[in-house]
Amino acid sequence: MTQPQDLPKEAGHRLEELEHGLFTSDLSVNEFLLIKEAGFHPLGFVMGSSIYHTGIQARRWNKSQELTKLTEAMYNARELAMTRMEEEADQLGADGVVGVRLDVNYYEWGRDAAEFIAVGTAVKAEDGTSHRNAQGKPFTSDLSGQDFWTIMQTGYVPQGLVMGTCVFHIAHRGIGQALGNVGQNVELPNFTQALYEARELAMTRMQDEANQLGATGIVGVRLEEKSHQWGSHTIEFLSLGTAVTKSAGEVTLPKPITVISLDN
Amino acid sequence: MTAPPSPDDGPPDGGGTGPDGDLPEAAGRRLGSGSFSSGLTVPDFAACLQMGLRPVGLVQGFCVMQWGWYGAGSPYMRGMTPFSFGGGAPRGVYSESYSCPHGGFMYSNEHRIWGQNYQQPWVESAWAQGFGSAYTRMVEEARAVGAHGVIGVVDSTRLLADMNVTEFHILGTAVVVEGAAAPPGGEPWTTYLAGQRLAKLVEAGYMPISVIAALSSVRVWAYCITEMLMEGTTLSFGGGYMPVSEVEQLSRAHIAARSLAREHVRGQLGNDTLQGAVIVANTQSLAQGDEVIECALRGTRVRRFKDFDPLPPARPTVRLS
Amino acid sequence: MSDARPAKTAATAAAAKTAATAATAIDIRAVMRRAADSLGAPAHDPPARAVTSDLSVDESLLLHSIGWEAVDVVFGASVVSIPPMVWTWGSGEITAASDAHNQAVRSAAKHLGEQCSGVRGHGVVGVRVEVDVMRHHVDVELTGTAVRPVRGKDRGSPFVSDLSARDFTLLHNAGWAPIGLAFGASFVYAPRRTMGTTMRQSSQNVELTNYTEAMYAAREAGMEHMQRSALDMGAQGIVAVQVSEGPMVFAAHAIGFTAWGTAVRLEAESHRYLHPEVVLPLDDATVEFEAQSLR
Repeated sequence: MTQPQDLPKEAGHRLEELEHGLFTSDLSVNEFLLIKEAGFHPLGFVMGSSIYHTGIQARRWNKSQELTKLTEAMYNARELAMTRMEEEADQLGADGVVGVRLDVNYYEWGRDAAEFIAVGTAVKAEDGTSHRNAQGKPFTSDLSGQDFWTIMQTGYVPQGLVMGTCVFHIAHRGIGQALGNVGQNVELPNFTQALYEARELAMTRMQDEANQLGATGIVGVRLEEKSHQWGSHTIEFLSLGTAVTKSAGEVTLPKPITVISLDN
Repeated sequence: MTAPPSPDDGPPDGGGTGPDGDLPEAAGRRLGSGSFSSGLTVPDFAACLQMGLRPVGLVQGFCVMQWGWYGAGSPYMRGMTPFSFGGGAPRGVYSESYSCPHGGFMYSNEHRIWGQNYQQPWVESAWAQGFGSAYTRMVEEARAVGAHGVIGVVDSTRLLADMNVTEFHILGTAVVVEGAAAPPGGEPWTTYLAGQRLAKLVEAGYMPISVIAALSSVRVWAYCITEMLMEGTTLSFGGGYMPVSEVEQLSRAHIAARSLAREHVRGQLGNDTLQGAVIVANTQSLAQGDEVIECALRGTRVRRFKDFDPLPPARPTVRLS
Repeated sequence: MSDARPAKTAATAAAAKTAATAATAIDIRAVMRRAADSLGAPAHDPPARAVTSDLSVDESLLLHSIGWEAVDVVFGASVVSIPPMVWTWGSGEITAASDAHNQAVRSAAKHLGEQCSGVRGHGVVGVRVEVDVMRHHVDVELTGTAVRPVRGKDRGSPFVSDLSARDFTLLHNAGWAPIGLAFGASFVYAPRRTMGTTMRQSSQNVELTNYTEAMYAAREAGMEHMQRSALDMGAQGIVAVQVSEGPMVFAAHAIGFTAWGTAVRLEAESHRYLHPEVVLPLDDATVEFEAQSLR
């Protein structure tokens, strides 16, 4: 685990202004109003980033394996970005961050280096009760304003954005094997095995993070697969979701109205 | 053939300036045949029938204009040159002059001591004539089938490459309002809208009158300051680069082009409202900071026939799926 | 169960309107006939001056429901030059480009506000913001519709906002009002790595700290300018911030960051809650009655 680094001093000026009462948010007007309905107020747009160089890792051409160095790199880079975003939220005195987006940008400064960015809107409960997570830190979540309001109505509260990642190299088929399969409808055991393992690793790691937060479950799980800049036989599997726990209080979800809309 | 419009004729008119009675013979046969064709999509078609609008035919108008010839002596320029505005522009034409602030010793063949933004009414008139002729022909076809109105109008202007030739094509679906009288003078009303959007407009209390479109054209002859700022050149004689500054000549030209398009449209509106305005601006950069800015504004002219009904209170909702 | 709050968020007015339409059964045929027959008669309640508007019918109705109306389509534009040679490789922030961008947006917004005041509007909604940063100049074009309360007095400083008329109405009902466009931009060179550093780092997983700091600084500078522009207007917050970043088309080693949103202030005593309802739609697909755009 990398040590969180100090925020650059430039971030300080901007955050001071936010502490003096100006709020900023990249929530749409709908989301802004729903956050207010849920009893929260936006504090400020928070961001964290890290430009990371992912080292070269030797791999065997005909073996399917996890590339652990790359996995570590992708994980560390995102953690750095998320941690800095959380620090900004912490400095504002926020209860949590909603609408978190994780992006990876590649620029002209060469291969194997990318910028990892985490952005979101920090929010705070208006009645002053603390909604920080079990570790005393602001919760993070990739829930939209609408989803945040809905989940608060169900009596579950977000704990944190959890992720698991796995970079996997898929063995190339030997010439004999490839020719032997030409023209047939057949399962490719290499690929099947590799993709299965990789996805399971990613999701298990994500669940481990949720357990560390003491969460009851994870909502909104999605699995992303990207080759980034490594070529088509190396894929990163990223599993993301928001860990939630049941809140102590008794809350009832209002009964929904069923409709058939006459309009789009 | 009528005489080409003169720049002294006043603001260009969006409709009705084309010649009458010159539809192709085939159009007459198609429109007289009794069955209808319609450019409406199926949902729009169904919506129109629901509103009591019976389609009676697909109508179109077409016009091809050439303008490359607007140098000195052309019918469209009538003896005007860019420098002839120095003595006072014709009334109603936008122009602004800019003079070099650098003083006499800066003068050279390269240093443009004088520049001007001016409106090009000959381009605007030619466009208006092209659009107007195409529109009039479409309305004529609609009259021929006894239509009350034309809905779902689509208009396109296309430059035929290499030929300095522009074609205007306007088409729409002619309809009859069941149970209503023919419009005054038999002149069909026209609108870009169709289907649900037309229904909403009418329900809100607006009746479409006609499609309106106008083009404005502003030419920028850059003077020394503009050219230096845009091209990133230095002042001569060891001067440094110009710092960050607003290129006022161009800013004003852009605003003028758009405002002129709005004024042209306003001139055709009377006391009515332009609904659904769409503005498309096009800048052609020539060398040395010169530009031609053209701005087309289109919309439907509508007239109120009843008050807005009070909107039922909006029910904000969260969808669960 | 003492504080069960019925849930509400914003829906389209059209959905509510259609629900109400089904209930009261408006005879659209009769309305169309009446409309067509009105052509011979003079207009009902014509405006004092012709009105132009780029709002849709729904948006006009929403504005009307809070007692506002459209007045005219208004424009602002500005071209600001960037001195040459700023895009060649250097280090740190490219202040000339940031200054040019911010000056251009400010100037265009000022022209827009002047046009709005000229037609006695209180502010401009639905502003379409087009910004083009090029090698030697920044072009900004703003287009929107000036609006005003139907029987309101003139107002000193018009607001400019890229909120749609729908969002403007929603905020208005919640007690918030837009003040202006808050914006900021900054441009920075991507730092160069020396040959030695490159080779040393090539096999490690490591953060590139000087890059990170440069990008951080640029992003924060852009956001700070946006916040400052909002504070100068007396805003309490900025909503719907849009952030974009990326290399310049003409200079790939220069990265530009822009952020803008609408600065808002609470006009009512306190925030007015909407109390949305929760809805479970049962249709698999909605029936499309929308006219498709043919252009």
